[in-house]
Amino acid sequence: MIVILFFLTLFIASIAAGALGSIVGIGGGLIVIPILTLFLGVDIHYAIGASIVSIIATSSGAAATYVKDRITNLRIGMFLETATTTGAIIGAAIAAYLSATILEAIFGTILIISLVPLVRKIGEEYPPKQQLKGLAKKLNLRGDYTERDGRKIDYNATNPGKGLAGMLAAGLISGLLGIGSGTFKVLSMDLAMKLPMKVSTTTSNFMIGVTAAASAGIYFARGDVNPLITAPVALGILIGAFLGTRLLVKAKNTAVRKIFALVLAATAIEMIIKALGF
Amino acid sequence: MNLKDPNSMNNILGIVLRSGVVLSGAIIAIGTALFVANHSLDDTSTYLAYNPGLIPHGNFPVSLASIATGLGSLDPFSVIELGFLVLLATPVARVALSLFLFAAEKDRMYVYLTAAVLAILLFSMLATPLIPLFNG
Repeated sequence: MIVILFFLTLFIASIAAGALGSIVGIGGGLIVIPILTLFLGVDIHYAIGASIVSIIATSSGAAATYVKDRITNLRIGMFLETATTTGAIIGAAIAAYLSATILEAIFGTILIISLVPLVRKIGEEYPPKQQLKGLAKKLNLRGDYTERDGRKIDYNATNPGKGLAGMLAAGLISGLLGIGSGTFKVLSMDLAMKLPMKVSTTTSNFMIGVTAAASAGIYFARGDVNPLITAPVALGILIGAFLGTRLLVKAKNTAVRKIFALVLAATAIEMIIKALGF
Repeated sequence: MNLKDPNSMNNILGIVLRSGVVLSGAIIAIGTALFVANHSLDDTSTYLAYNPGLIPHGNFPVSLASIATGLGSLDPFSVIELGFLVLLATPVARVALSLFLFAAEKDRMYVYLTAAVLAILLFSMLATPLIPLFNG
């Protein structure tokens, strides 16, 4: 393929990945990796390197808006980042000794199972107000944000322990597989910690950049981050993330959860297909 | 700006994130323009070769020294790599800045948590590429 056509294809796909990723709190590897490997015939290592670029670009691109709009919960994000970065390092260290196939099968199955509780609350606009107690109270894991129509939404987090465990899994996946890390973050905040959906996806968005940065140094030094791929991916994602943030601030929590459920199913299928070796 | 006001913390972090994104996007766009100007009709296979036996695996600069040399001659790939490094530095700068902002709010618990995240992040970015365990 000629360079200009390769750039344009990847640029357009990345705009879509950035828009979707910034709305549901994921890094866009779900779209970028298969486009590169299946459609453009690029080596999987470069595709994973591109996924890292895509995650960091989505995260910083979207977080700039979400942090200013105060939807992202900075404290909850920072608290959970202790677990995601630790998980990412452990994942990178054990990657050479573990079979990616088995891991993909396990994580894919966990995602499919988690569709059940997610679908059960598919119509829930705001979670029932939780009591702030224990560790969540000590760490002040609460917050509020203002919807477009001016209503102030107050919320408290619950189950911080379960949230941390989910984040450790998210970090491990990021270090090991380079895909699915955002999905696990949103699930932990939505199902375990019972945060409003938009707080979960924007806080996940805020965090995925740090998790990816933790393993980016290794990929970069190895030479897995190819500039021919980095350029159109980074530029497309930044534009897409900017567009996506405009949509999210206006969207209903239920709409975001529905899109997320579809993304979750697609991620699970992609992992299981990879595990089965197709 | 009053640092005790939680709004100003969000504003400062928002500005840092936006500056990092705009700067890295601009550098990458310049690198892309330089590359497309001379190579738009090249075949991509030359640039996409992956050598599993070699470190680095590809045919482009990955060390800071080689990127710096490449920048001197406006090598497009070095310019794009520089843009990527600015992008990579953005979340790290955000964590580092949070440390000061939590300190300004006198929130000791979060100063500790942020310091831990920053330490893990710097360890993994700077030290792990040098440790054989991580390069299998």
